[in-house]
Amino acid sequence: MSWTCEQVEASLSEYLDGLLGEGARHEFDAHANHCDRCGPLVARVSGVVSGLHRLELLEEPPELASIILDKTLGPRKQKWSWRSAFEWLRLLSRPRFAYSAVSIAVTLAVLLPSLGINWRHVRLADFRPANLYRAADRQVHLVYARGSKFVADLRVVYEIQSRLLPQTEPGTGLEDKKFPQNSPDNPPGMTNGPQRNRPRELNRADQLHPELSVLASALPSAWERSLP
Amino acid sequence: MRRHTRRIYNLCYRFTSNRSEAEDLSQEVFLRVYRTLASYRAIHGGFTTWMTSVTRNLLIDHYRRTRRDRLTDSLDDAMPKLENKESAARRPDQHALLGELSGQVQAALRKISPDLREAVILRDLQGLEYQEIQQVLQVPEGTVKSRINRGRIELAKLLEQMGLRPE
Repeated sequence: MSWTCEQVEASLSEYLDGLLGEGARHEFDAHANHCDRCGPLVARVSGVVSGLHRLELLEEPPELASIILDKTLGPRKQKWSWRSAFEWLRLLSRPRFAYSAVSIAVTLAVLLPSLGINWRHVRLADFRPANLYRAADRQVHLVYARGSKFVADLRVVYEIQSRLLPQTEPGTGLEDKKFPQNSPDNPPGMTNGPQRNRPRELNRADQLHPELSVLASALPSAWERSLP
Repeated sequence: MRRHTRRIYNLCYRFTSNRSEAEDLSQEVFLRVYRTLASYRAIHGGFTTWMTSVTRNLLIDHYRRTRRDRLTDSLDDAMPKLENKESAARRPDQHALLGELSGQVQAALRKISPDLREAVILRDLQGLEYQEIQQVLQVPEGTVKSRINRGRIELAKLLEQMGLRPE
């Protein structure tokens, strides 16, 4: 009785490694030579296995054996020579060292200015703990103040922009919930929506209107006065 | 020493696909072998087999430790370049063919499960016999045969998908 495809597939490696007996080998060949599925499979896996056997061992890094000997047997005394004196320079060419050096340089470039140290004119006094603390504290406050100002400016710009936008047409379904509604009874900028208690900065744009009115009324007279 | 270093380095590299990790793991293997040398008995099999067992245990530990990192890792593209530097004495066409095969095999090995991968590496790249693999993996002979078989078939499928058909 001839073998099935499952039997051939299960015995494929034993066949390729020569571990099948004479009878089993004959059955295997009989099936594989006439099966459209198993024939190509055997050829493919056989090709892969012979390809794997042809691959040579990769070369290990040259310093690996020395490192292992140093770690196991301890560092050995080396005879002094010019070559050994500059052996440490080889470390510089390793990618790991280069990455570390670059990351340290970037960290220092970010950290030193924030600690108030000018790397072009480094002074010993810059490294005193009190000075370092003062510079770091100043930087933190500066960053916080700039951040607050930026956020406040953004709010003003957003509010002006939202007022300049055309009003949403009724019936689109967007006019009721998305934006708080203005009430004619309230002062400008105040809303009767659910966000009544929002920060005062939001309403800063409302102060622009009276200032612009004063400016507009003053400008023509100033222009007339400047005429000869 | 040199022979063992190369063999262990290759085993680690084929399993991890990372040159730096393979170097570190090779050092770890030799340190462990050095420390546990007194526990080695000939009944465990040959010295090479015992050393391979130590390496395999370390590789499995390493695999478990770095499992999460690997999920986000992309395929290491540097491998074929590194391998192309080897054996400059070969004929250029053969050299290119084997360099390509080596890189593709490494990429395919990364995609199969660790159980199958280690079985294929030990059998086809390290040249261990079935019995030695059984000692290293500490699994029954039938399991060894099955893993090698499934690993080879999966590897062949992956290499075919990559467009490589070794003769």
